[in-house]
Amino acid sequence: MTEMVCAYPGNRDETLVAYLYDDMAPADRAAFGAHVAACGVCRAELAGFASVRSRLAEWAPPEPTRAFAQPNVRRSTVAARVWATLRDVPAWMQVAAAVLFLGVAAGAANLNIRYNADGLSIRTGWSAPANEARVVAAPASAPPIAAASTPEPSVSKADLIALERQLRHEVEAGAAASPTVSLVRALIADSERKQQNELALRIASVYQDVGTQRTADLVKIDRILSALQNNTRSELARQRDDMHSVSTVVARLVKNP
Amino acid sequence: MTSTDEELVARSIRGDAESFNQLILRWERPIYALAYRTIGREEDARDVCQETFLRAFRALPGFRGQAKFSSWLYRIALNLCRDWMRRERRAPVVQPPENVDLMELAAQAEPSESIEDLIGRRALMRIVEQVMATLPEEQRTAIILKEYHGLTFQEIADLVGCPLSTVKTRLYQGLVVVRRELAKRGDMGEGMS
Repeated sequence: MTEMVCAYPGNRDETLVAYLYDDMAPADRAAFGAHVAACGVCRAELAGFASVRSRLAEWAPPEPTRAFAQPNVRRSTVAARVWATLRDVPAWMQVAAAVLFLGVAAGAANLNIRYNADGLSIRTGWSAPANEARVVAAPASAPPIAAASTPEPSVSKADLIALERQLRHEVEAGAAASPTVSLVRALIADSERKQQNELALRIASVYQDVGTQRTADLVKIDRILSALQNNTRSELARQRDDMHSVSTVVARLVKNP
Repeated sequence: MTSTDEELVARSIRGDAESFNQLILRWERPIYALAYRTIGREEDARDVCQETFLRAFRALPGFRGQAKFSSWLYRIALNLCRDWMRRERRAPVVQPPENVDLMELAAQAEPSESIEDLIGRRALMRIVEQVMATLPEEQRTAIILKEYHGLTFQEIADLVGCPLSTVKTRLYQGLVVVRRELAKRGDMGEGMS
């Protein structure tokens, strides 16, 4: 067998790669093109590289984060998915979940906040009246020692409402004014979405592998069962033959003792 | 009418933030793709991409237009990628999502593709990624810049600071290795062997 050799006079590798990417002067390209037409080695290598390039083209990076825009969270899709899941849940389970939810909600909602002459007291549904938490001041009938020695500043309901308004306003204003916060939120949301997609694909891949393995196992089990069945049949036939032989011998013995 | 990079750069230097935003929108994806293919990790590629634009923004007053803006950006990104590769890599962290239908989510990734096609395509991508990772850095960079960013040999040579013939040789040698490695991994398409 004769090995083909390229007889191109110049720097063949450099010229070939320039020809492959069409990054050379037209005259040089025409000259090398004429060589390629007559050279099987170069033709084969160019074809191989063209195939490599088609594989390389498959390598696409994942979608980049639009770091300067809010992520497009498809809440409607998520909601639809949740409802679709709920539709598949049996009715008794939905009722049980609803009852459980109502029980927990009732416990949490039984929050008793009092503000009167005795001061501010907070009591949850699980707290006995004796366990009331005195937050600001104790009843006037039994003033605490600390309150007697260093008087606490009195807090009015209006003060608390004003404080709440102020805090709410500051949080909203801070979030709206800070592009960094928006950017971080966008990055976190996008990162979570990417991780979910990646995980979903991995799990789908695992599902596929498991499915293939399961099919192979079923075929294997089927083969083993068939073999066992054949063995059992042949064993039964053998035993039947033995029984027949024994009965024949017994019959002969009975006939000719 | 669309402004050229040079016009946007000039306006950005004069303090027009919107012009720099346009440059980001124009070049964010190529820079991210370059970083991703060079270092192979999405999160880090995104960091490199953002850091590239931050550095470019800080250095913009010193940019005199001696090279194309894109080449300048590519150079910053490649330097950051090299810095990244010198550092120790962290293991990827994947946390299972809650209340998410994974199969549906996977189907949403590419609505026109079946799960099997998607997995097949990703398997091929992973092979290419692994093969590219086996290349020496210079050969990988040459292939990435030529194959995915369409730079001329001269632009690559200017960018990485080596002679033109060296770029061609690196590219040729890189393609030979990729071809061999793909064949070794069983991706024996037509004309591969």
